[in-house]
Amino acid sequence: MSRLKRRDVLKMGAIGAAAAGLGFPAIVRAQAKEIVILGLWDQTGAFADVGPILDRGMKMALDERGMKVLGRPIKYITRDGATQAGTSTRRTEEAVDGEGAKFVIGPWSSGVALAVSEVAKRKKVLHLFSGGTEDISGSRCHRYSFQWAASPYTAAKTVVDNFMKANPKAKRWHLLVADYAFGWSVEKYIKEVGKAHGLEFVGADRHPLGEREFSNYVQKAAANRPDVVAMINFGLDAVSGAREIFNFGLTPKIPLIMTWSSGVEELVQLSPEIRENIWVGSNFYYTADTPAAKAFVKSYQAKWGNPPGYAPSAAYSMTRLLLAGFDKAKSAEVPDVIRALEGIELNDIVGRMRIDPATHQNIRPYFFMRCKPKAAMKHPTDFADIIATGDTPLPKEHAACKDIGSF
Amino acid sequence: MLYALMGLGLSLITGILNIPNFAHGALFAVGAYLLASAAVAIGNFWIALLVAPLGVALLGLVIEYAGIRRLYAAGHDYQLLFTFGLALILSEAIILIWGPVGYSYLPPQALRGGLDLGFTFYPKYRLFVMVMAGLLVLATWLFLEKTRYGAIMRAGIENKEMVSLLGIDIHKMFTVAFALGAYLAGIAGALTVPIRGVNPGMGVDMLGIAFVVVALGGLGNLLGAIAAGLLIGVAQALVAGYWTEASTVVIYAVMAAVLLVRPQGLFGIR
Repeated sequence: MSRLKRRDVLKMGAIGAAAAGLGFPAIVRAQAKEIVILGLWDQTGAFADVGPILDRGMKMALDERGMKVLGRPIKYITRDGATQAGTSTRRTEEAVDGEGAKFVIGPWSSGVALAVSEVAKRKKVLHLFSGGTEDISGSRCHRYSFQWAASPYTAAKTVVDNFMKANPKAKRWHLLVADYAFGWSVEKYIKEVGKAHGLEFVGADRHPLGEREFSNYVQKAAANRPDVVAMINFGLDAVSGAREIFNFGLTPKIPLIMTWSSGVEELVQLSPEIRENIWVGSNFYYTADTPAAKAFVKSYQAKWGNPPGYAPSAAYSMTRLLLAGFDKAKSAEVPDVIRALEGIELNDIVGRMRIDPATHQNIRPYFFMRCKPKAAMKHPTDFADIIATGDTPLPKEHAACKDIGSF
Repeated sequence: MLYALMGLGLSLITGILNIPNFAHGALFAVGAYLLASAAVAIGNFWIALLVAPLGVALLGLVIEYAGIRRLYAAGHDYQLLFTFGLALILSEAIILIWGPVGYSYLPPQALRGGLDLGFTFYPKYRLFVMVMAGLLVLATWLFLEKTRYGAIMRAGIENKEMVSLLGIDIHKMFTVAFALGAYLAGIAGALTVPIRGVNPGMGVDMLGIAFVVVALGGLGNLLGAIAAGLLIGVAQALVAGYWTEASTVVIYAVMAAVLLVRPQGLFGIR
């Protein structure tokens, strides 16, 4: 038997990593009359934990309609983008070229979605996305992509205004920002909105996507002696950060803001002690007081046992938005559905939504919550109270989408 | 120190058994989940900390006896496939048993909160982990250096055939070495729980670092693994103080820099 050499180990590591990235798509051809819709949901990579619940949300919206629209059957296909731009664009092109998909929803990562949006433009297919990058409805806007999530400006304004209303003396902010498209967008507007409140940003550290060791960042934050720490990150990054901030004794002494949180999916991973004095901004919270949210939450809980967070709710609402577009257009042709979605107004799970025809941005409420102390929780998922919502759209002077373009 | 523990366990397995153990990260995750479950079930963190790594060692024993033992003569390709497949099975088993969503577990009451060290504020539990991991590394070191069985293991790393010819049951030694490596991965995972909580992907995060530690220290060199673990931890902490964004990449930069100067690693000879 040969001795294992250092180079062998390095080579094997590379082979192992490559093997982990492989996916095996099923090839099934669409029937002529079917409307094929692709859900691009990650089953591997950084957002592997979210993919299955996004899939649930989308399926629930399609099932509500009996998998039919305009009297035609809907064929729902889902592919794993592996939270990587290369894999996601390849899977999208395969679904469009090989299976006749003309409507794409997803993926979950902002950076990856920007790449998928370019594919949608080139292939002339309709693309719906929900995430924190402002570029989809901003500098890289085009006729084929739509943004369901609130604008980062709307989120920043809702969070900063309402937090300062409750904590007027908390002027020294330390930011902890995920170092990719979504983090940069939200950070920019937190700083912009903060000017009106006289906020001083005593520190702003960026961390890579998938960071798990936050002790160094938290030590730095503690050294700045801030009145509040605001995190602009998501998923496991946010959970790891919040846990470390608690371990270092910052919370509950000083408040922690999770600016752009998935809500339930993140909060359930934190103990009640860690959640104390955490303030949460999110695109959806399950206690939203709208008829559509109540019906959806009831149905979701009956099916899966736990309340839905931002991810399944976004997938559900994006799918309903697309179906409303088909209804309004009375057509399944991509340009017709796009025209129908431009300016469409709906009362959905988050409340009143309107798609701005000039930017394809969803103008809608953003939610701001405060976590409950353990003693005040009525049941294990009674994490927080919604204390405010806000829907201030991005002011015209900040709008980077000057021309949405043509087909 | 946790990096050193992980690296030491992996280095033991790589050095003595001469196999690339891609399941080492999964064993780390199993240790973490066993601790979290045992602590909740028993209601005592300290007993759970004692029991959970032993569970991983037992699992290691079974893996070596029932699987790896059959592949010693088969070549590295088969060993890689086996341990990689095992890592996937263990990760999926974690999801099946404990679910896809992670959760937090707080440090025991006595170790909550932090200490003001003057120049910085540091959580008590992290200080405990540093001391505990240090003691474990020391105990492993003493076992390997000062006991007869440790000497046999070190001899096994140098020359298996010779040890076997001296009438020592080399297969039994392989089993013990794998179980010991698994124990070290398991206790590193268990100690991590109050700091990082548990989630199904936690093993993958740690596996990469463990391989860096082994390559950096020199394959099969136990002192090298300890030194490399400490070097990476210190480099990460120092860089994070001045350039936070680079704190992850520095792990790989240190490895690349050392391997450029010493391709055999810090203390390696091959």
